[in-house]
Amino acid sequence: MIQYIDMHAVLQESISGVYADLVTRPTGRVVRERIERAIAGRGEGDTGEITVARMDFAGVGCIDYSCADEIVAKLLRDRPAVLVLSGITDGHREAIEPVLSGHGLAALIERADGTLESLGAAAAATALLDELVARRLAARRPGGTYALTLA
Amino acid sequence: MTRLVEVPAHFDDRSFDQFAGAFAEARRDDERLLFDAHAADWASPYGLVALLAAAQAARRPGSGAPAERPLLTAPTSPEVLSYWARAGFFREAAGLFEIHGKVPRVKAAEESEVLLPVTPVRAAEDVHAVVSKIQQRASAILASELSLDPKATMGFAMALSEACQNIVEHAGTGGWVAVQAYNWRRKLARRVVVIAVADAGVGFRHSLEPTQNKRFGDRWGDAAALEAALVQGVSRFRDPGRGQGLAGIRRYLQRWTGKIAIRSGTARIAIVPQWDDDVPLKEGLPPFPGAQVLIIIPEQGSAER
Repeated sequence: MIQYIDMHAVLQESISGVYADLVTRPTGRVVRERIERAIAGRGEGDTGEITVARMDFAGVGCIDYSCADEIVAKLLRDRPAVLVLSGITDGHREAIEPVLSGHGLAALIERADGTLESLGAAAAATALLDELVARRLAARRPGGTYALTLA
Repeated sequence: MTRLVEVPAHFDDRSFDQFAGAFAEARRDDERLLFDAHAADWASPYGLVALLAAAQAARRPGSGAPAERPLLTAPTSPEVLSYWARAGFFREAAGLFEIHGKVPRVKAAEESEVLLPVTPVRAAEDVHAVVSKIQQRASAILASELSLDPKATMGFAMALSEACQNIVEHAGTGGWVAVQAYNWRRKLARRVVVIAVADAGVGFRHSLEPTQNKRFGDRWGDAAALEAALVQGVSRFRDPGRGQGLAGIRRYLQRWTGKIAIRSGTARIAIVPQWDDDVPLKEGLPPFPGAQVLIIIPEQGSAER
Protein backbone atom coordinates (compact mmCIF):
# COMPACT_ATOMS: atom_id res chain seq x y z
CA MET A 1 0.00 0.00 0.00
CA ILE A 2 1.01 3.56 -0.62
CA GLN A 3 0.39 5.91 2.24
CA TYR A 4 -1.03 9.31 1.27
CA ILE A 5 0.24 12.35 3.15
CA ASP A 6 -1.34 15.75 2.60
CA MET A 7 1.58 18.04 3.45
CA HIS A 8 -0.52 21.19 3.61
CA ALA A 9 -2.91 19.55 6.07
CA VAL A 10 -0.06 18.23 8.20
CA LEU A 11 1.48 21.71 8.21
CA GLN A 12 -1.78 23.30 9.29
CA GLU A 13 -2.12 20.79 12.11
CA SER A 14 1.49 21.32 13.16
CA ILE A 15 1.73 25.08 13.55
CA SER A 16 -0.52 27.69 14.99
CA GLY A 17 -1.69 30.35 12.61
CA VAL A 18 -2.48 30.31 8.96
CA TYR A 19 0.92 29.92 7.35
CA ALA A 20 1.24 27.81 4.22
CA ASP A 21 5.02 27.65 4.07
CA LEU A 22 7.26 24.82 5.16
CA VAL A 23 10.03 26.90 6.66
CA THR A 24 12.33 26.66 9.69
CA ARG A 25 13.83 23.61 11.38
CA PRO A 26 11.37 23.54 14.28
CA THR A 27 8.42 23.45 11.88
CA GLY A 28 10.10 20.77 9.79
CA ARG A 29 10.75 18.71 12.89
CA VAL A 30 7.12 18.85 14.02
CA VAL A 31 5.83 18.01 10.54
CA ARG A 32 8.25 15.09 10.20
CA GLU A 33 7.32 13.71 13.58
CA ARG A 34 3.64 13.74 12.59
CA ILE A 35 4.46 11.93 9.37
CA GLU A 36 6.56 9.39 11.28
CA ARG A 37 3.68 8.74 13.66
CA ALA A 38 1.33 8.26 10.71
CA ILE A 39 3.75 5.81 9.11
CA ALA A 40 4.26 3.96 12.41
CA GLY A 41 0.49 3.79 12.85
CA ARG A 42 0.22 1.68 9.74
CA GLY A 43 2.60 -0.84 11.24
CA GLU A 44 4.73 -1.20 8.12
CA GLY A 45 7.90 -1.09 10.13
CA ASP A 46 6.75 -4.24 11.91
CA THR A 47 6.43 -6.26 8.70
CA GLY A 48 9.88 -5.28 7.51
CA GLU A 49 8.42 -3.78 4.33
CA ILE A 50 9.91 -0.63 2.96
CA THR A 51 7.60 2.32 3.61
CA VAL A 52 6.10 3.83 0.49
CA ALA A 53 4.53 7.25 0.96
CA ARG A 54 3.02 9.69 -1.47
CA MET A 55 3.55 13.21 -0.16
CA ASP A 56 1.25 15.76 -1.75
CA PHE A 57 2.70 19.27 -1.64
CA ALA A 58 -0.31 20.96 -3.26
CA GLY A 59 -1.17 24.08 -1.29
CA VAL A 60 2.29 24.37 0.25
CA GLY A 61 3.77 27.76 -0.56
CA CYS A 62 7.49 27.80 0.02
CA ILE A 63 9.74 25.09 1.40
CA ASP A 64 13.19 26.16 2.50
CA TYR A 65 16.40 24.12 2.61
CA SER A 66 16.22 23.54 6.34
CA CYS A 67 12.70 22.17 6.14
CA ALA A 68 13.56 20.07 3.08
CA ASP A 69 16.37 18.50 5.07
CA GLU A 70 14.37 18.14 8.26
CA ILE A 71 11.42 16.47 6.52
CA VAL A 72 12.32 14.76 3.25
CA ALA A 73 15.98 13.95 3.84
CA LYS A 74 15.50 12.80 7.42
CA LEU A 75 12.54 10.59 6.55
CA LEU A 76 14.80 8.87 4.02
CA ARG A 77 17.87 8.80 6.26
CA ASP A 78 16.14 7.28 9.24
CA ARG A 79 14.37 4.36 7.55
CA PRO A 80 14.24 2.55 4.23
CA ALA A 81 11.49 4.41 2.40
CA VAL A 82 10.25 5.38 -1.02
CA LEU A 83 8.84 8.90 -1.10
CA VAL A 84 6.75 9.90 -4.09
CA LEU A 85 6.32 13.68 -4.13
CA SER A 86 3.31 15.12 -5.93
CA GLY A 87 2.05 18.68 -6.33
CA ILE A 88 5.66 19.80 -6.52
CA THR A 89 6.53 23.23 -7.95
CA ASP A 90 9.88 24.30 -9.35
CA GLY A 91 10.46 26.21 -6.13
CA HIS A 92 9.87 23.12 -3.98
CA ARG A 93 12.20 21.19 -6.22
CA GLU A 94 14.88 23.83 -5.91
CA ALA A 95 14.99 23.28 -2.16
CA ILE A 96 14.62 19.50 -2.05
CA GLU A 97 16.93 18.39 -4.85
CA PRO A 98 20.28 19.68 -3.51
CA VAL A 99 19.45 18.44 -0.03
CA LEU A 100 18.83 14.92 -1.34
CA SER A 101 21.82 14.94 -3.68
CA GLY A 102 24.08 16.12 -0.88
CA HIS A 103 23.23 13.00 1.12
CA GLY A 104 23.24 10.56 -1.82
CA LEU A 105 19.49 10.20 -1.35
CA ALA A 106 16.64 10.29 -3.84
CA ALA A 107 12.89 10.60 -4.06
CA LEU A 108 10.46 10.31 -6.94
CA ILE A 109 8.30 13.09 -8.32
CA GLU A 110 4.88 12.24 -9.69
CA ARG A 111 4.21 14.67 -12.51
CA ALA A 112 0.76 15.95 -13.37
CA ASP A 113 0.46 13.34 -16.15
CA GLY A 114 1.25 10.58 -13.66
CA THR A 115 4.75 9.77 -14.86
CA LEU A 116 7.48 9.38 -12.29
CA GLU A 117 10.67 11.39 -12.36
CA SER A 118 13.69 10.94 -10.15
CA LEU A 119 14.94 13.66 -7.85
CA GLY A 120 18.32 13.53 -6.15
CA ALA A 121 21.11 11.00 -6.50
CA ALA A 122 20.69 8.94 -9.68
CA ALA A 123 21.76 5.58 -8.25
CA ALA A 124 19.42 5.90 -5.30
CA ALA A 125 16.56 6.91 -7.60
CA THR A 126 17.02 3.77 -9.71
CA ALA A 127 16.77 1.64 -6.58
CA LEU A 128 13.51 3.40 -5.64
CA LEU A 129 11.94 2.64 -9.01
CA ASP A 130 13.09 -0.98 -8.78
CA GLU A 131 11.45 -1.28 -5.38
CA LEU A 132 8.14 0.14 -6.62
CA VAL A 133 8.13 -2.09 -9.70
CA ALA A 134 9.02 -5.19 -7.65
CA ARG A 135 6.07 -4.49 -5.35
CA ARG A 136 3.85 -3.78 -8.36
CA LEU A 137 3.19 -0.30 -7.10
CA ALA A 138 4.60 1.16 -10.33
CA ALA A 139 4.78 -0.08 -13.88
CA ARG A 140 6.59 0.83 -17.04
CA ARG A 141 4.49 2.71 -19.58
CA PRO A 142 4.85 2.62 -23.35
CA GLY A 143 7.65 5.02 -24.13
CA GLY A 144 9.75 3.92 -21.21
CA THR A 145 8.33 6.14 -18.49
CA TYR A 146 7.04 4.83 -15.16
CA ALA A 147 3.81 5.56 -13.32
CA LEU A 148 2.18 4.42 -10.11
CA THR A 149 -0.26 1.59 -10.71
CA LEU A 150 -2.65 2.70 -8.00
CA ALA A 151 -2.77 6.34 -9.04
CA MET B 1 28.92 60.33 31.67
CA THR B 2 27.68 59.67 28.14
CA ARG B 3 29.82 58.55 25.25
CA LEU B 4 29.05 59.73 21.74
CA VAL B 5 28.77 57.38 18.76
CA GLU B 6 28.37 59.22 15.51
CA VAL B 7 26.07 57.62 12.98
CA PRO B 8 27.58 58.13 9.50
CA ALA B 9 25.68 60.60 7.34
CA HIS B 10 25.47 57.95 4.65
CA PHE B 11 25.00 54.80 6.69
CA ASP B 12 25.32 51.52 4.81
CA ASP B 13 27.55 48.44 4.75
CA ARG B 14 30.48 50.52 3.47
CA SER B 15 30.39 53.05 6.28
CA PHE B 16 29.52 50.42 8.88
CA ASP B 17 33.15 49.80 9.86
CA GLN B 18 33.55 53.50 10.69
CA PHE B 19 30.43 53.19 12.88
CA ALA B 20 31.67 49.94 14.46
CA GLY B 21 35.00 51.62 15.27
CA ALA B 22 33.27 54.50 17.02
CA PHE B 23 30.96 52.06 18.81
CA ALA B 24 33.84 49.88 20.05
CA GLU B 25 35.75 52.94 21.26
CA ALA B 26 32.76 54.40 23.07
CA ARG B 27 31.91 51.12 24.80
CA ARG B 28 35.31 50.82 26.46
CA ASP B 29 34.32 52.75 29.57
CA ASP B 30 30.98 51.03 29.98
CA GLU B 31 29.26 54.41 30.00
CA ARG B 32 25.86 55.19 28.58
CA LEU B 33 26.00 55.71 24.81
CA LEU B 34 24.48 58.45 22.71
CA PHE B 35 24.02 57.55 19.04
CA ASP B 36 24.02 60.79 17.14
CA ALA B 37 22.13 60.50 13.86
CA HIS B 38 21.07 64.16 13.61
CA ALA B 39 23.13 64.68 10.45
CA ALA B 40 22.09 61.43 8.78
CA ASP B 41 21.01 61.99 5.21
CA TRP B 42 20.57 58.39 4.12
CA ALA B 43 20.59 54.90 5.61
CA SER B 44 20.33 51.60 3.84
CA PRO B 45 18.32 48.71 5.32
CA TYR B 46 21.70 47.38 6.51
CA GLY B 47 22.39 50.62 8.36
CA LEU B 48 18.98 50.62 10.02
CA VAL B 49 19.09 47.04 11.30
CA ALA B 50 22.73 47.45 12.36
CA LEU B 51 21.81 50.54 14.40
CA LEU B 52 19.18 48.49 16.23
CA ALA B 53 21.73 45.75 16.88
CA ALA B 54 24.10 48.35 18.31
CA ALA B 55 21.35 49.54 20.64
CA GLN B 56 20.68 45.97 21.69
CA ALA B 57 24.35 45.54 22.56
CA ALA B 58 24.58 48.92 24.29
CA ARG B 59 21.86 48.32 26.88
CA ARG B 60 23.47 48.63 30.28
CA PRO B 61 22.07 46.44 33.02
CA GLY B 62 20.85 48.58 35.88
CA SER B 63 21.39 47.57 39.47
CA GLY B 64 18.03 45.97 40.16
CA ALA B 65 16.35 48.47 37.82
CA PRO B 66 15.40 47.90 34.18
CA ALA B 67 18.32 48.08 31.74
CA GLU B 68 19.34 51.59 30.84
CA ARG B 69 18.69 52.31 27.19
CA PRO B 70 21.20 54.18 25.03
CA LEU B 71 20.21 57.58 23.66
CA LEU B 72 19.48 58.33 20.02
CA THR B 73 19.39 61.75 18.43
CA ALA B 74 16.99 61.37 15.54
CA PRO B 75 17.81 62.76 12.09
CA THR B 76 16.83 66.39 11.66
CA SER B 77 15.96 66.12 7.96
CA PRO B 78 12.18 65.65 7.61
CA GLU B 79 12.69 63.45 4.53
CA VAL B 80 15.15 61.20 6.34
CA LEU B 81 12.89 61.01 9.39
CA SER B 82 9.95 60.12 7.21
CA TYR B 83 11.89 57.40 5.40
CA TRP B 84 13.22 55.86 8.64
CA ALA B 85 9.67 55.84 9.97
CA ARG B 86 8.23 54.27 6.80
CA ALA B 87 11.01 51.67 6.86
CA GLY B 88 9.78 50.65 10.31
CA PHE B 89 12.92 51.76 12.13
CA PHE B 90 11.34 53.90 14.84
CA ARG B 91 8.74 51.26 15.66
CA GLU B 92 11.59 48.97 16.76
CA ALA B 93 13.87 51.73 18.03
CA ALA B 94 11.27 52.99 20.50
CA GLY B 95 11.90 50.09 22.85
CA LEU B 96 15.67 50.11 22.48
CA PHE B 97 16.64 53.79 22.56
CA GLU B 98 15.66 56.83 24.51
CA ILE B 99 14.95 58.88 21.41
CA HIS B 100 15.55 62.62 21.28
CA GLY B 101 14.03 64.62 18.46
CA LYS B 102 10.66 64.66 16.81
CA VAL B 103 9.68 61.33 15.34
CA PRO B 104 6.86 61.32 12.81
CA ARG B 105 3.90 59.06 13.41
CA VAL B 106 4.03 57.29 10.08
CA LYS B 107 2.79 53.79 9.48
CA ALA B 108 5.56 51.44 8.40
CA ALA B 109 5.84 49.99 4.89
CA GLU B 110 2.97 49.41 2.41
CA GLU B 111 4.90 51.19 -0.33
CA SER B 112 6.60 49.54 -3.26
CA GLU B 113 10.18 50.26 -2.22
CA VAL B 114 9.93 48.78 1.24
CA LEU B 115 9.24 45.11 0.61
CA LEU B 116 9.59 44.29 4.28
CA PRO B 117 9.95 47.00 6.92
CA VAL B 118 12.40 46.51 9.76
CA THR B 119 10.97 43.43 11.44
CA PRO B 120 12.07 41.66 14.61
CA VAL B 121 13.14 38.03 14.38
CA ARG B 122 13.20 36.14 17.65
CA ALA B 123 11.64 32.77 16.96
CA ALA B 124 10.61 30.38 14.19
CA GLU B 125 7.13 31.92 14.21
CA ASP B 126 8.66 35.27 13.18
CA VAL B 127 10.38 33.60 10.22
CA HIS B 128 7.02 32.19 9.10
CA ALA B 129 5.50 35.66 9.23
CA VAL B 130 8.42 37.18 7.29
CA VAL B 131 8.28 34.53 4.55
CA SER B 132 4.52 34.81 4.24
CA LYS B 133 4.63 38.58 3.99
CA ILE B 134 7.50 38.73 1.51
CA GLN B 135 5.79 36.35 -0.88
CA GLN B 136 2.72 38.56 -0.96
CA ARG B 137 4.75 41.73 -1.50
CA ALA B 138 7.81 40.71 -3.51
CA SER B 139 6.53 38.55 -6.32
CA ALA B 140 5.44 41.33 -8.66
CA ILE B 141 8.43 43.52 -7.89
CA LEU B 142 10.99 40.77 -8.44
CA ALA B 143 9.46 39.90 -11.79
CA SER B 144 8.62 43.36 -13.10
CA GLU B 145 11.41 45.49 -11.70
CA LEU B 146 14.33 43.06 -11.49
CA SER B 147 13.33 40.95 -14.50
CA LEU B 148 13.70 37.84 -12.39
CA ASP B 149 11.91 34.74 -13.51
CA PRO B 150 8.69 34.47 -11.44
CA LYS B 151 10.10 31.15 -10.23
CA ALA B 152 12.83 33.13 -8.48
CA THR B 153 10.35 34.51 -5.98
CA MET B 154 10.20 31.29 -4.03
CA GLY B 155 13.98 31.04 -4.04
CA PHE B 156 14.08 34.58 -2.71
CA ALA B 157 11.73 33.61 0.12
CA MET B 158 13.90 30.58 0.84
CA ALA B 159 17.04 32.70 1.00
CA LEU B 160 15.30 35.17 3.29
CA SER B 161 14.05 32.36 5.51
CA GLU B 162 17.51 30.89 5.90
CA ALA B 163 19.09 34.27 6.61
CA CYS B 164 16.53 34.90 9.36
CA GLN B 165 16.90 31.42 10.81
CA ASN B 166 20.54 32.16 11.34
CA ILE B 167 19.42 34.50 14.12
CA VAL B 168 16.96 32.04 15.64
CA GLU B 169 19.39 29.12 15.60
CA HIS B 170 22.74 30.74 16.31
CA ALA B 171 22.55 34.26 17.70
CA GLY B 172 21.26 33.43 21.16
CA THR B 173 19.20 36.62 21.01
CA GLY B 174 16.76 38.34 18.70
CA GLY B 175 17.62 40.39 15.64
CA TRP B 176 16.05 42.30 12.78
CA VAL B 177 15.49 41.91 9.07
CA ALA B 178 14.56 44.45 6.40
CA VAL B 179 14.06 44.07 2.65
CA GLN B 180 14.01 46.89 0.21
CA ALA B 181 14.19 47.55 -3.52
CA TYR B 182 15.99 50.61 -4.80
CA ASN B 183 18.09 52.09 -7.56
CA TRP B 184 21.69 51.30 -6.81
CA ARG B 185 23.62 54.08 -8.45
CA ARG B 186 26.92 53.29 -6.73
CA LYS B 187 27.71 50.13 -8.64
CA LEU B 188 25.14 49.20 -11.19
CA ALA B 189 22.87 52.09 -12.02
CA ARG B 190 20.14 49.49 -11.84
CA ARG B 191 17.49 48.27 -9.48
CA VAL B 192 18.45 45.90 -6.72
CA VAL B 193 16.66 44.12 -3.92
CA VAL B 194 18.54 44.13 -0.64
CA ILE B 195 18.04 41.86 2.34
CA ALA B 196 19.67 43.07 5.55
CA VAL B 197 19.75 40.98 8.71
CA ALA B 198 21.49 41.95 11.94
CA ASP B 199 21.74 40.79 15.51
CA ALA B 200 23.97 41.51 18.47
CA GLY B 201 24.20 37.89 19.56
CA VAL B 202 27.13 35.59 20.07
CA GLY B 203 28.48 35.75 16.50
CA PHE B 204 29.84 33.01 14.23
CA ARG B 205 33.12 32.40 16.07
CA HIS B 206 31.46 31.75 19.39
CA SER B 207 28.73 29.65 17.80
CA LEU B 208 31.18 27.39 15.94
CA GLU B 209 33.97 27.33 18.50
CA PRO B 210 33.07 24.07 20.28
CA THR B 211 33.14 22.05 17.05
CA GLN B 212 35.65 23.93 14.86
CA ASN B 213 38.27 25.46 17.11
CA LYS B 214 40.57 22.42 17.07
CA ARG B 215 40.18 21.84 13.36
CA PHE B 216 41.48 25.32 12.55
CA GLY B 217 44.11 25.49 15.32
CA ASP B 218 46.07 28.75 15.25
CA ARG B 219 43.99 30.05 12.37
CA TRP B 220 40.82 30.00 14.47
CA GLY B 221 39.08 33.35 14.76
CA ASP B 222 36.23 35.39 13.31
CA ALA B 223 37.48 35.07 9.73
CA ALA B 224 37.97 31.30 9.98
CA ALA B 225 34.51 30.91 11.49
CA LEU B 226 32.92 32.88 8.67
CA GLU B 227 34.88 30.89 6.09
CA ALA B 228 33.78 27.62 7.71
CA ALA B 229 30.12 28.66 7.71
CA LEU B 230 29.80 30.31 4.32
CA VAL B 231 32.36 28.52 2.18
CA GLN B 232 32.50 25.08 3.79
CA GLY B 233 28.89 24.87 4.96
CA VAL B 234 29.90 23.99 8.51
CA SER B 235 27.34 24.20 11.30
CA ARG B 236 27.67 24.04 15.06
CA PHE B 237 25.30 21.07 15.03
CA ARG B 238 26.74 17.63 14.40
CA ASP B 239 23.65 16.59 12.45
CA PRO B 240 24.92 15.84 8.90
CA GLY B 241 22.01 17.75 7.35
CA ARG B 242 23.01 21.04 8.96
CA GLY B 243 24.67 23.85 7.07
CA GLN B 244 22.09 23.74 4.27
CA GLY B 245 20.93 27.30 4.77
CA LEU B 246 23.96 29.34 3.74
CA ALA B 247 24.80 26.80 1.02
CA GLY B 248 21.30 27.25 -0.38
CA ILE B 249 21.60 31.03 -0.29
CA ARG B 250 24.89 30.78 -2.19
CA ARG B 251 23.31 28.61 -4.90
CA TYR B 252 20.44 31.04 -5.28
CA LEU B 253 22.76 34.03 -5.52
CA GLN B 254 25.01 32.28 -8.00
CA ARG B 255 22.05 31.78 -10.29
CA TRP B 256 20.93 35.42 -10.10
CA THR B 257 24.44 36.96 -9.88
CA GLY B 258 23.74 38.18 -6.39
CA LYS B 259 26.06 39.05 -3.54
CA ILE B 260 26.24 38.01 0.09
CA ALA B 261 28.46 39.56 2.74
CA ILE B 262 28.54 38.52 6.38
CA ARG B 263 30.25 40.51 9.09
CA SER B 264 30.82 39.00 12.50
CA GLY B 265 33.18 40.09 15.24
CA THR B 266 36.27 41.53 13.58
CA ALA B 267 35.90 39.94 10.13
CA ARG B 268 33.76 40.16 7.04
CA ILE B 269 33.41 37.60 4.27
CA ALA B 270 31.74 38.09 0.91
CA ILE B 271 30.86 36.09 -2.16
CA VAL B 272 31.59 38.76 -4.72
CA PRO B 273 29.90 38.74 -8.14
CA GLN B 274 31.55 40.19 -11.23
CA TRP B 275 29.73 43.48 -11.02
CA ASP B 276 31.17 44.30 -7.60
CA ASP B 277 34.70 45.13 -6.46
CA ASP B 278 34.34 44.16 -2.82
CA VAL B 279 37.05 42.02 -1.24
CA PRO B 280 36.26 38.40 -0.35
CA LEU B 281 37.64 38.54 3.18
CA LYS B 282 38.53 41.34 5.59
CA GLU B 283 40.11 40.78 8.96
CA GLY B 284 41.11 43.04 11.82
CA LEU B 285 37.99 45.17 11.58
CA PRO B 286 36.64 47.05 14.60
CA PRO B 287 34.80 44.52 16.78
CA PHE B 288 31.03 44.46 16.64
CA PRO B 289 28.82 41.91 18.39
CA GLY B 290 26.68 39.32 16.63
CA ALA B 291 26.37 38.95 12.88
CA GLN B 292 25.27 41.28 10.10
CA VAL B 293 24.22 39.80 6.77
CA LEU B 294 23.80 41.67 3.49
CA ILE B 295 22.27 40.03 0.41
CA ILE B 296 21.94 41.94 -2.86
CA ILE B 297 20.07 40.66 -5.90
CA PRO B 298 20.48 42.87 -8.96
CA GLU B 299 18.16 43.51 -11.84
CA GLN B 300 18.97 40.83 -14.37
CA GLY B 301 21.34 41.80 -17.15
CA SER B 302 23.48 43.87 -14.81
CA ALA B 303 26.15 41.19 -14.47
CA GLU B 304 27.65 42.13 -17.83
CA ARG B 305 28.26 45.69 -16.84
